[in-house]
Amino acid sequence: MKTAASGIVSAILALFLSFPAIRAYAEPGPFDEYAVKAAFLYNFAKFVEWPPSSFKDSHAQLIIYIIGIDPFGDKLDVLADKTVSGRKLLIRRVAAYDDLGKCHILFISRSEKDQLGNILKAIKNRNVLTVSELNNFCSSGGIINLFLEGDRVRFEINQRAAERAGLKISSHLLNLAKVYREEK
Amino acid sequence: MLTINRACRAAILALIIIAGLSAPSYARENTGDLTSLSLEALMDLPVYGASRFEQKASEAPSSVSIVTSDEIKKYGYRTIADILRSIRGFYVTYDRNYNYIGVRGFNRPGDYNTRILLLVDGHRMNDNLFNQASVGTDFPLDVDLIGRIEIIRGPGSSLYGDNAFFAIINIVTRGGSDLKGLEISGSLASHDTHSGGLNWGKRFSDDLNLILSSSVMDSKGRKRLFFQEFKDPAFNNGVAEDSDYDRSYSFFAKLSFNEITIEGAYASRKKGIPTAPFGTVFNEPGNQTTDIRGFMDLKFRHTFENRLEAAARVYYDYYNYHGDYVYDFADPLNPLQRLINKDIGEGRWWGGEVLLTRNLSERHRISAGIELRNNEKQLQHTYYESPYLNIFEDNRHSTIWSLYLQDEFHVSDKLILNGGVRYDHYKTFGGTTNPRLAMIYNPHANMTFKLLYGEAFRAPNAYELYYDAVEIGQKSNPGLKPEKIRTYELVYEQYHGKQFRSSVTGFIYKIDNLISQTIDSSDGLLFFENKEDVKARGVEFELEGQWTSGLRGKISYAFVKTEDLQTGEEMSNSPRHLAKLNILLPLLGDKIFLGLEEQYGSRRKTLSGDDAKAIYVTNVTLFAKNIIKSLEVSGSIYNLFDYTYGDPGAEEHLQDIIEQDGRSFRLKLAYAF
Repeated sequence: MKTAASGIVSAILALFLSFPAIRAYAEPGPFDEYAVKAAFLYNFAKFVEWPPSSFKDSHAQLIIYIIGIDPFGDKLDVLADKTVSGRKLLIRRVAAYDDLGKCHILFISRSEKDQLGNILKAIKNRNVLTVSELNNFCSSGGIINLFLEGDRVRFEINQRAAERAGLKISSHLLNLAKVYREEK
Repeated sequence: MLTINRACRAAILALIIIAGLSAPSYARENTGDLTSLSLEALMDLPVYGASRFEQKASEAPSSVSIVTSDEIKKYGYRTIADILRSIRGFYVTYDRNYNYIGVRGFNRPGDYNTRILLLVDGHRMNDNLFNQASVGTDFPLDVDLIGRIEIIRGPGSSLYGDNAFFAIINIVTRGGSDLKGLEISGSLASHDTHSGGLNWGKRFSDDLNLILSSSVMDSKGRKRLFFQEFKDPAFNNGVAEDSDYDRSYSFFAKLSFNEITIEGAYASRKKGIPTAPFGTVFNEPGNQTTDIRGFMDLKFRHTFENRLEAAARVYYDYYNYHGDYVYDFADPLNPLQRLINKDIGEGRWWGGEVLLTRNLSERHRISAGIELRNNEKQLQHTYYESPYLNIFEDNRHSTIWSLYLQDEFHVSDKLILNGGVRYDHYKTFGGTTNPRLAMIYNPHANMTFKLLYGEAFRAPNAYELYYDAVEIGQKSNPGLKPEKIRTYELVYEQYHGKQFRSSVTGFIYKIDNLISQTIDSSDGLLFFENKEDVKARGVEFELEGQWTSGLRGKISYAFVKTEDLQTGEEMSNSPRHLAKLNILLPLLGDKIFLGLEEQYGSRRKTLSGDDAKAIYVTNVTLFAKNIIKSLEVSGSIYNLFDYTYGDPGAEEHLQDIIEQDGRSFRLKLAYAF
């Protein structure tokens, strides 16, 4: 056993000593959860189709609202100068429910958990893609729920809720999502 | 050996120091623009953030700890027992056959973890003879298959019935979507230990997922084990040779289709018993136990239009225990002849459960459930093999049915009331009702107070009630009553920015009619008795931290004082102080990590009234992945400083203290195709 033991020790040492060589090839380390989630939001904008009637004209902005305590901080700033299908992105933090229907993507913060029903009611029949990170979001009628599986970000889609909102979700997005099935 | 010790110590110290110096500069924070990445790439990025502490845990009506698959890899955990050793308020005793979980000062001799409910994806794993929760090499799943483990403290009988006495351990297996294709792993460890695993998962469509897994382990164990109590030339001077072997294999499959999940497992473990318990022959490799477990579980979940959620489950379980105990005093005419006592237990049970949940309003959620469990076979049989001599045979069947109700009411944004009650009916002793009440108060988003009251019961199991083999020193007690616990707990959880979470918990436990293994002084026989009324009081502190660099850690301290209300004495195997430290240090981005564990447990009283001395154990694991694409390598050293300590033995042991392993190693490789 002694030999096996010292073998393992030297294997670990060897691994350790080879660090400088490995470092050159190192990829950047772990990522801020909300920087990654911001990039997901951007991709959702890319892979969801809104009815043309939800925009004033072909150059109108694609509007993203964040309701509740904003978990992104400055991580959303990178989206400010991006365009999706020729439309600039506009990001607003909002508190009131009355004109939520004006946006295209509504991110509902965890802080609004208890108000979820009211928020979803407020945008009923509007062409709004709802995104959140609440356990029961899809089963409550929300469209996309972001969640963590281990340390990776995953998302769940309620396709029927998207249909109700008049949105078309690309099959690419659906293929990568966990699909939530709602009963007819 | 001394030089290796020194070299090893020096190398590890150097490693830790250099790791500490180099980590901050190389683990960069990544907050930049990631929008240019594809969705697939985004899904592959490891993240760190506040929601890793699942919202659910802070709303749960108990104090919960969660361990993820990522931590299992990076801390080099081999078994559930390894994981539990790192959990606040938990400790594990090993008698070189089974692992026994201690929670908040309770770890009774002769208790096969019957006061812990072990679940795999919600399926009850405690068997129907011993109610054993297997958490060592006898746990029927490869740890690589575990997605996460939830450790839920406090009584859970109001939802789960029997065995949910001190805690519930729920093991959630990995999903088909994160097992992409084939994963193969192998490891090499001290004491001639080899193991291998094969996991395969595929997502055929959005609705159809399949996972298949198998694993095998073979360990020769400690070649020579010395036990002071047998130090006599007649007993090989106290050395048990080649008697510590451990062999196991397991299979697991899970198929999810739409709202249906079917899963099943089959596993077997054979373990040599080097301690010569129950008066068996010492230094006899023939002393061994084999535990075989199998189950099939079908789950169905459906949400109706009117927000009524229905979940149903049917299951079938199989358990087979087979012990060989070698005696040399069985035949009075032939005093030196060794005879094998075969000790058999076979259990088969099936059952079903339906749970309906309905949101009465936005703030009010109510669930009701019904469960039926039929123990169609509970066979215990003890005999000598050749010449055949029957000692004891007992076959039973029994039925348990239960009703339960849970109610969660959000009084306001800040206050949640959560209550539950369950009624369980047993043929033997009748009915038992166990309620639970929780008040969860969030004065603001980062702060939670929980005030909890709970009751739980544990029914005496078939082994405690009926096992009757006077010839080998144990008798039955069919009059046993269930034991009962009442607990009061106050939990305070607080998030400090995105980096820290702290919790403080205070609790009082009162147990009536605790079932304990005792020796009847009139005939010298072992039996189980509703013996003690016990009170325990304790307080626990924990601080968890995580940084965007990937650095993570937790530190905890638990104090408990147990008291036998009749004698006023402290319970045996009950450490007053437990302290733990876990640090995960990224040495190189998300590729190389150093996992460091420190565990302290204060002295414990043994059955003889002596003290088993305090425990200081250090474990380190160096984990690397994607140095070569898709390859994970880890090297672990357990009990790094080769600290000598022992765990208290039970009544069946001559050893008052059973010595534990010194420094040992493991090297593990895993490759995903």
